[in-house]
Amino acid sequence: MAEGHWTAGSHEMLRVSECVWEIPKTGGMRVPGRVYADDRLMKHILKEKAVDQVANVAHLQGIVGASLAMPDIHWGYGFPIGGVAATDPAKGGVVSPGGVGYDINCGVRVVASKLSLGDVRDRIPELVKRLHRDVPCGLGSHGAIGKLDRKDLDDLMVEGAAWAVRKGFGTDADLDHTEEGGRLRMADPSKVGKRAIERGLDQVGTLGSGNHFLEIDVIDEIYDEYIASAFGLEKGGVAFQIHSGSRGFGYQICDDYLEVMQEAVRKYSIELPDRQLACAPVESPEGKRYLAAMACAANYAWANRQVMMALTKRAVAKVLASSEAALGLRLLYDVCHNIAKLETHTVEGREVTLCVHRKGATRAFPAGHRDVPDAYRAVGQPVLVPGDMGTCSYVCVGTGATMRETFGSTCHGAGRVMSRAKAKKMAAGRNLEQEMSDRGVFVMAEGKRTLAEEMPDAYKDVTEVVDVMERAGIAKRVVRLKPLGVVKG
Amino acid sequence: MAERPEYTEIDHTADVGMALTADGVEAAFEKAAACMFDLVCDLDTIGDGWRGEVRVEARAEDLQNMMVRWLSELLYVFESKRVLLSSFRITEMDKGGIRAEIRAEIAGEPIDLEKHAIKTELKAATYHDLRIEEDEGSWAVRVIFDT
Repeated sequence: MAEGHWTAGSHEMLRVSECVWEIPKTGGMRVPGRVYADDRLMKHILKEKAVDQVANVAHLQGIVGASLAMPDIHWGYGFPIGGVAATDPAKGGVVSPGGVGYDINCGVRVVASKLSLGDVRDRIPELVKRLHRDVPCGLGSHGAIGKLDRKDLDDLMVEGAAWAVRKGFGTDADLDHTEEGGRLRMADPSKVGKRAIERGLDQVGTLGSGNHFLEIDVIDEIYDEYIASAFGLEKGGVAFQIHSGSRGFGYQICDDYLEVMQEAVRKYSIELPDRQLACAPVESPEGKRYLAAMACAANYAWANRQVMMALTKRAVAKVLASSEAALGLRLLYDVCHNIAKLETHTVEGREVTLCVHRKGATRAFPAGHRDVPDAYRAVGQPVLVPGDMGTCSYVCVGTGATMRETFGSTCHGAGRVMSRAKAKKMAAGRNLEQEMSDRGVFVMAEGKRTLAEEMPDAYKDVTEVVDVMERAGIAKRVVRLKPLGVVKG
Repeated sequence: MAERPEYTEIDHTADVGMALTADGVEAAFEKAAACMFDLVCDLDTIGDGWRGEVRVEARAEDLQNMMVRWLSELLYVFESKRVLLSSFRITEMDKGGIRAEIRAEIAGEPIDLEKHAIKTELKAATYHDLRIEEDEGSWAVRVIFDT
């Protein structure tokens, strides 16, 4: 074992095991911090202020166990990205919009198919161009399915992905393969402000920009034959990934409620080390209102990804002159990365309802858990971990340890190591499209800077991140996806 | 066309930030708005044919809150009207009383992707590491945005 002790800013980090580090309680921390990383990843983590942010989150009222950070942790605002925090509402536990983020229910879904590499190898540019045309992307993208009226948006906020299915975008089977069935029941449209509604009316079915993407992949490695087969995945098979969230609708709700929480912090005399952590007790009127509005945005994001999936399936069928059924296009699973949810967990031998914040983290419920759909219950919920656009992504599965150690959570992606500004500098003078093409990936990007900001060098190696979760016993790899074609916003 | 304002782009791993200075508090707010839009699209490529007005309410004696509300309001105008803004003139800034208030005249140009090279999408102005401080009449502002 290498070094067992680090100092990060004003905090000590003590090694607990090969891939687990503890930040002991100091000052106003109510619980310790716990970071999942090996020596290599720790070097990245120590370069920025993420450790301080893990410690800051440990100040939240009612936090249970530890303030957690997954190995893809990086410096965010308020919460670190890759942070998990569970609070106990019965003990004054708080909910913090900053612990969810602006892009509420940003998440990813994987669409599996009967296609094999040979079926699409020569058609990738054509497919990417068609997807780029049919799924609106880029800044402020809109108009995928026509502007909704207020009644439709109200229904969508309550029904989530089921709304999209009802409108002809997909089937009921898709809902079963979506976290929470694609709908949080605590949604209440009366808690959503006018501005969010205005921004939400014409963005359903749009990708947006930044790190959002639509990708064509080939399954190039199987790590667990049994589970892969339960997921219906085969080596050489083609899959599609869609990564997006609740668009301007969610950003506005987060913004509006951060304002509400600024007041709540005064009202309830909550002391915080960072204003961006503003929060209110889950059981307070402000906490309940936020969760009801946040659920509307979560449902919006699920409807958004459901519509995009339908547009993707249609586009693929069109290009390959076939039908969606013949191509066997089906939703493997859809997970959220940015969310706060009321979930049942066992704490000190007792079942309790906790408010679990996942900010850049994925739910990873293991085999046998009642919230895992029937089709996967024997093996566990598929956990989708996208990497950067030039490397690879993983489909993993949670192990029993997630429930004991991480409130049923694991990592959500590669995690940035380089600022966007630095990435742009590094990309200057390079032909990134050509570099990606040399790697066998055809890319179309809407924003001029997106390609530079999102280049593989800007991210940690997703393989190292997933490897740490595996060595820590939290999640195991099932298959690897290698990108063939990418649409970036 | 407006001139591009002077500011430093802050290196932040996941997001993007700006640091700027101005003489006077109104000027600091106006310049922060200009810098924010310059992060989205070079300000010297944005016209000013579109005119509007905004009114922002915030908590009194809380400049951080005023700054976040002000920038959020402008991002909302940008996305809801699909207008890139290039010019900001604060006509009234009342920091006292129970609520603070800013009134401003703004100008810009509807987004035209042929003409405007969009550099980045800003989701929101955050309170994280937010600074707005005066030192002998010079105001220093630092804002991190979620991108």
